[in-house]
Amino acid sequence: MTIKTKFNLPTVILGIFAVMGFSAIGYQLVNGLGVTGMNNIVSWGTYIMLFMFFVGLSAGGLIVSSSATVFNIPSFKVVAKPATILSTVCVIVAAGFIMVDLGNPFRMLNLLLHSNFKSPLMWDVMVISLYLVINVLYLYLMTREKPNQKAMKIMSSVALPVAILVHSVTAWIFGLQIARGAWHTAIMAPLFVASALDSGLALLLIVLVLLATFKVFVVEKKLITTLAGLLVTFVAVDAYLLLSEMITMIYPQGEAMHHAEVLISGQLAPYFWIQVILGLVVPLAILLFKKNREKMRLVVFSSALIVFGVLCKRIWLLFSAFVHPNIAEGQGITLGYNQPNIWSTVGTYSPSLVELMISVGLISFGILLFSFLAKKILVQKSSQENQFSDKEGKIYSMVKNG
Amino acid sequence: MMRYGMVIDLEKCMGCHTCSISCKMQNNIPQGMLWNRVVSVGDEGLDSVEGLFPNVKRKYIPIACQHCDNAPCQKACPVGATYYDENGSVQIDYGRCIGCRYCMAACPYNVRVFNWEEAERHPDFNYGDGVVPVRDVGVVEKCTFCKERTSEGLDPMCVECCPAEARVFGDLDDPKSEVSRLIRERNGEQLLKEKGTKPKVYYLGLNGEV
Repeated sequence: MTIKTKFNLPTVILGIFAVMGFSAIGYQLVNGLGVTGMNNIVSWGTYIMLFMFFVGLSAGGLIVSSSATVFNIPSFKVVAKPATILSTVCVIVAAGFIMVDLGNPFRMLNLLLHSNFKSPLMWDVMVISLYLVINVLYLYLMTREKPNQKAMKIMSSVALPVAILVHSVTAWIFGLQIARGAWHTAIMAPLFVASALDSGLALLLIVLVLLATFKVFVVEKKLITTLAGLLVTFVAVDAYLLLSEMITMIYPQGEAMHHAEVLISGQLAPYFWIQVILGLVVPLAILLFKKNREKMRLVVFSSALIVFGVLCKRIWLLFSAFVHPNIAEGQGITLGYNQPNIWSTVGTYSPSLVELMISVGLISFGILLFSFLAKKILVQKSSQENQFSDKEGKIYSMVKNG
Repeated sequence: MMRYGMVIDLEKCMGCHTCSISCKMQNNIPQGMLWNRVVSVGDEGLDSVEGLFPNVKRKYIPIACQHCDNAPCQKACPVGATYYDENGSVQIDYGRCIGCRYCMAACPYNVRVFNWEEAERHPDFNYGDGVVPVRDVGVVEKCTFCKERTSEGLDPMCVECCPAEARVFGDLDDPKSEVSRLIRERNGEQLLKEKGTKPKVYYLGLNGEV
């Protein structure tokens, strides 16, 4: 098999990143969260931003694979396995980002011992655990010799609403906080679900094409085109919800204008406009046309833009609530570090090297875990189906030529 | 039942920061953070003023935990480390806090501070009365209404030390207490009242600003 040689060098590099990330976690455990760029005003940073991002990314997989059974779309069934593996890995990475964000990770058991069920964070802990269990069970059912269709059906009918719930609850962590005007909107949960659907499906498409490139798993071109059609619908819904939110903030020219300005022309404007243009407008312009959806290269390009756009969206979404504290009068707020100037009236943040190393490390670990699971679960199947190798070759060349 | 509250008379406050410093001393607060800070309305600096010369005015607002009756931080804490004590004040169980900082995101007043790194103190030892627990790296802390003092029947340290006698501490549930009387007679106002958090710290002479 060619897989071994093709996976080798990236595997080594990702392995090094992962090891570096885990050493950085060790360093952070010893020295405290002071090694990050966070402070008392911007009290959440890259970790929580990536947590939101990866919870969202895990959506695409499970939703596509479970809607295959729930809505009886047999063509989706083909990708159920890689989709569910992707979903599982993304939710594990998301949980990892929550763990590295804790100031006292060794007390994590308190989440079980002293649960406060009034806290949206507690709801999220429960619903993400449930989501992970469902993903793993679903994967287990799918990889049986003879999949139990009835169990699969029940499982996917549970999986779909839980997937929607995971993204809504994650949104409510932010959206329910009266303290943060930029987050406090009823549209937060739908906005999260929409972003989760488009970024998750876009990632799934990229992964499917990559798997075909590495001859690990074969999908028909037609299915990619169908999924790209679904993707453009999700992007359109995401754009619509964002427009609805922004116009509600801007039109009255009232208090919410304060938050809108940060996005339109303030500190977070680059992320906002990159998301709007590269993450929404360009992919929509490309994927709206059927003949573009048939070109693999354009589908992958648009998918990459969508994933990148949603990453930018996570950035502006999280930090917009921290830029201007409610009470930002003279001298402001103490930042929490022993430095010459301990005060600030605005929130500023840039991730530290340790923070970046941990983030890159966790993501590398996720990619490794995915390729390990993909090889373990998917490859044995395709090696049994060697007779399809000419079809694979066709798809490979198709991918190369766009 | 006791319901501890505080009244701060902004017409008496002269912005001397004695409350911040006495609080820091009493509660053994490390370098880089304060539980109680004095802000001035105007621009970004210390002792800032509102308006253009000669039409300027200056107003100081001391801010610490507002000990809300409907505290968003208490609802947010996933492990119940933030709780209401028997006097209605909002307290933190430092031994239970997992350091997720959700409470900091939930607090509209930005009064919660986090122990980002190993505490540094000048002088290089624990100060205060020795009864206040020392906090570890990775936990959130904030004003406790000096629970170690008030449980002994003393006033919080900021009330004790304020040279302008701008601060009064007492029972909000007792209509005859001085805090209740001041709020009633001099129109005590709460910070960010529209958020509905129902603070137990009242300001006199705030005039709706902030």
